Amino acid sequence: MCLGIPMQIKQIDGYNANCEAKGVERQVSLFMMQHEPLKMGDYVLVHVGYAIQKITSQEYHSTWEIYDEIL
Amino acid sequence: MKPNFTSHDAKFWLQQIQTLKLTKPVKIMNVCGGHERSISQAGLRSILPEAISLIPGPGCPVCVCPEEDIYEAIQLALNETITLVAFGDMLRVPVNLPKNEIRSLEQARSAGADIRPIASPMEAVEIAEQIDKPVVFFAAGFETTILPVISMLVQGVPDNLLVLMSGRLTWPAVAMLLDSGEPGFDTLIAPGHVSTVMGPEEWEFVPAKHHIPAAVAGFSPESLLAAFYSTLRQLQDNKCFLDNCYPEVVTHGGNATGKQHLAQVTDIVDANWRGVGIIPKSGFALKKTYANHDARVCLPSYADPERKRLGKMPAGCGCAKVVLGKIYPNECKLYGKCTPREPIGPCMVSDEGACRIWWSNGQR
Ligand code: SF4
Repeated sequence: MCLGIPMQIKQIDGYNANCEAKGVERQVSLFMMQHEPLKMGDYVLVHVGYAIQKITSQEYHSTWEIYDEIL
Repeated sequence: MKPNFTSHDAKFWLQQIQTLKLTKPVKIMNVCGGHERSISQAGLRSILPEAISLIPGPGCPVCVCPEEDIYEAIQLALNETITLVAFGDMLRVPVNLPKNEIRSLEQARSAGADIRPIASPMEAVEIAEQIDKPVVFFAAGFETTILPVISMLVQGVPDNLLVLMSGRLTWPAVAMLLDSGEPGFDTLIAPGHVSTVMGPEEWEFVPAKHHIPAAVAGFSPESLLAAFYSTLRQLQDNKCFLDNCYPEVVTHGGNATGKQHLAQVTDIVDANWRGVGIIPKSGFALKKTYANHDARVCLPSYADPERKRLGKMPAGCGCAKVVLGKIYPNECKLYGKCTPREPIGPCMVSDEGACRIWWSNGQR
């Protein structure tokens, strides 16, 4: 329950975003990210459906490399 | 200059660790199920020098969720006209009732109660929008899970959505271990994503007050090994501080919006941990201003103080000791009889439970 999932923002509609990772799309809430301007193409760490942190594309890729092994 | 760990691979950090002159055995505790999973799956225990042992500590929110809270959730689902939603991990955790009674949310569901596993607070909102009866969201978890639940409430939810709050903070359990005088570890790996939302500063008390080296780690072998090295080096040099070996994600102050929501909605209260007891200032409770969404206020209580083995771990289960890092999972005498398929204690149920992680990785 405590492991965040890195995703990429595909579309933003208010506080809702359509995010994608590894071909899977999910509705993600940006409500916890009001302190950080986000745009399409940005990467975020998603926890139980909520973006909790903006990350770099490098972090996105390296995290998935690890998750592919441990999850 | 501080080394930049991202430019080094696991091998580099292992070599660095091997160059250290450790004069006595060192126990490194982690307090995050994700860390324990990475450590087990990457086989980090077997590659470290013999003097270093890695002990999983309080890193599993499902494992410490009070037995009486799970009982309450089961009884609400069985006796009230409600829909109960909970993160999937909670459904199989057994309470201490005789075998012929309903002992888990999963069994309550089989008996006809309307219980639905969810993966996100947003699903709870959707379900509440679709049905007329009260929807009770049984919210157990650490900070990473509870902040989104709180943000859900701040954003606004249907009147019929009630929260049965059972969230816990991670650091007070470590503080309790340290205050006990017998922490059972020499250095600490602080959790990656808890620090992401709450800020790494929460862990500064470990080196500052207790002179125990600490480092925040991510989930890659590199990041974990860098954090091990950092704390071992601190130990060797007799200089402790809180290092951040996950700086790409863990930044000063944590998630500002989430923390603001938290302050708006919750009080921090003394709270019970299953098998452990009350830990001061370790639980989230909804403020009075959110009473209309508080299941404990809006629905009758099924608390039964007379119930046998109330609040305890299942008979013979060593989870309380596993959770506090007092024993390794395979030191529980039920390990093996208790398996993920037929779990006896919560540490074998949750994906973040040390017993389940060890068993799933072939550790016997
Ligand atoms: S092996 Fe089972 S009974 Fe023993 S501590 Fe782990 S979960 Fe509890």
